[in-house]
Amino acid sequence: MKKSSFVLGLGLALMLTGLVTWGYQIARGLIVTNMRNPFSWGLYISTFAFFVGIAAGGLIVSSSVYLFNLERLKPFTRIASLSAFASTLGATAMILPDMGRVDRIFNLVLHPNFRSPLVWDVIVITCYMLLTFLSVYFQLLPDWKRDGRGFFRGWTNNLSLAQVQAISGRWSKRVSIVGLPFAILIHTVTALIFATQASRGWWNTAILPPDFIAMAVASGTALVLLISVLAVGKERFAEYQGAFKGMARIVAGALVVHFFLVAVDLLIHWWWGKPEGLNILSLVFGRYGLVYAVELVLPAFTMLCFFSQKGSSSFKSLILGSSLLFIGVFAHRMMLMFPSFNEFPLSIALPGLGIENWPYPIATGELKEGMPVFVSSWAYTPTLVEYAIALLPFGLVLTVVSLALRLYNFLPHKGNNSLRGKSGISYSNDTASV
Amino acid sequence: MRLGMVIDLTRCIGCRSCMVACKAHNSQPPGTWWNRVFTPGASFHQSAVGKDGEFQMNFLPVSCQMCDNPPCQKVCPVGATYTDERGVVLVDYERCIGCRYCLAACPYGVRQFNWEDPRKAKEQAGYMKGYDYGYPEDYRDQGRLVYTPDRPRGVAEKCTFCVQYTKNGESPACVRACPSKARIFGDLDDPKSEVSRLIRERQTFRLKEELGTEPKVFYLAPAKPVR
Ligand code: SF4
Ligand code: SF4
Repeated sequence: MKKSSFVLGLGLALMLTGLVTWGYQIARGLIVTNMRNPFSWGLYISTFAFFVGIAAGGLIVSSSVYLFNLERLKPFTRIASLSAFASTLGATAMILPDMGRVDRIFNLVLHPNFRSPLVWDVIVITCYMLLTFLSVYFQLLPDWKRDGRGFFRGWTNNLSLAQVQAISGRWSKRVSIVGLPFAILIHTVTALIFATQASRGWWNTAILPPDFIAMAVASGTALVLLISVLAVGKERFAEYQGAFKGMARIVAGALVVHFFLVAVDLLIHWWWGKPEGLNILSLVFGRYGLVYAVELVLPAFTMLCFFSQKGSSSFKSLILGSSLLFIGVFAHRMMLMFPSFNEFPLSIALPGLGIENWPYPIATGELKEGMPVFVSSWAYTPTLVEYAIALLPFGLVLTVVSLALRLYNFLPHKGNNSLRGKSGISYSNDTASV
Repeated sequence: MRLGMVIDLTRCIGCRSCMVACKAHNSQPPGTWWNRVFTPGASFHQSAVGKDGEFQMNFLPVSCQMCDNPPCQKVCPVGATYTDERGVVLVDYERCIGCRYCLAACPYGVRQFNWEDPRKAKEQAGYMKGYDYGYPEDYRDQGRLVYTPDRPRGVAEKCTFCVQYTKNGESPACVRACPSKARIFGDLDDPKSEVSRLIRERQTFRLKEELGTEPKVFYLAPAKPVR
């Protein structure tokens, strides 16, 4: 109980920090960020993409229980759906402070332009949020019926507990089957926001959507794994070792696909030897080499660790591997922006002078003492304000998950009274499945 | 009608008069430039590029290319960026939600964002007291606010081919301001217009043609002596 109070408190504190700083940003404008005209998307969009990425695991885990008969994972479907729902909320919360005119957000409903991948993303993410919510809802319904609490449960009043359990099992299955394509879609479409842009060589590749899916399967499953391992704790770890190992293997397998796609992508950028392509590679391996190393090395470590017998079956290595993977995935999201915005699409070739890639300067959008207005590249690093606002989704996810864990039973164990609250009746969700 | 422009790079002397006229007429806040003129290859404008005693100095003005296949418009989630009946790509300052997708999409770096309140930025720039600039009145295209001297904070903006003037048949400020008449403006759909004639009879190029954005700004390649 103590630990969960701490997490809840931390979540609320982070959320409050994010909200207050956002208020400051609203008062001053996006000038308080370090984004400028040449580098117009930064930490916010990267964090958004990060949360979209980890949101996948939920439905992927619950769907694979039904689709591929991965019975071992069944005890974790509740927590998987919860993590998916929370991450989707986090992604949505992150996108709002990025908007220059968040007060006009209703225009997305009033005047949607269906040619824009951003509109597709709004649609699929909204659907996914709804589906993950329903997934959580149907899985908790029998508990709520029995304990006489929870919300939206009036319609179950005239049903018996057994009937509600049957409905819960049936609908959980249905939701997760409908949810799977949406889980795939949110990554495909989020990747398409970038991949459709022929102006940006680093993004403009058909490899991006499948790679986003691979990354999502890896990081989403790692999130479910991390939460489950932490929630189950050291004492009962052995009981679920099989399931944890299964998840670790899913993570490792998805990372193999990811690394394969990355390798092919890099090869294609390099092979033709276009000045723009080479410049991107020099940004990736030179100027941003350190971030890129983090993106490559940490997930590679996780992959090897999760494939190994020891790494996939020890409490500590599972936690370490998942955490390192998150850092790697975050670096990947940042690396979407760094090389892309620093290779200006309008670069001029002057063959007679031996100049192949002269970036045409862009006005920053700010006049500041001692700073040039026109620049040929922009060394973006987030400001403190950006970091503080980016805490908002992290706080939201922690708050939602810890509140849910505290109020309802998400854990795969009978009679876990400490987390279940007053009710003494135990319930295992294994009985509710069809 | 499809409005377009031809820029004769032989005539351009890199004086940046069009930059200043554009900035002043369109009330662009400090740090924001819809129209840029640079010397490609040079670290400083108006400096020669070359080696071994062989130098050259050419200039390239770049503003919105008024693409016929405009990525900025296609990505705009709320249709704030649109093409009017004369083929001019415009931004509705009252509809833009400030997502900046268009800044990422445009291959020419012409889109500018209002990171801060433009009015305040002007006040802080340290201009002489009482000095102000820009066409003073709002201009609406079928109800949509496409010109206003002080743009709302948090929206994207760019060259409009001086919509407030050209809708009345006048020329854009850059065309009028150019001392060497390097800019020719007109209707690309009219075969008799000077722009159409030049594109037909002279060798022109467009920027980043390979991207298929189909710009309506054409360039006549510079033919200056190398000195
Ligand atoms: S140049 Fe850029 S802003 Fe202008 S129409 Fe083309 S894509 Fe849009
Ligand atoms: S910043 Fe404004 S004009 Fe640009 S894409 Fe977003 S809503 Fe459209």
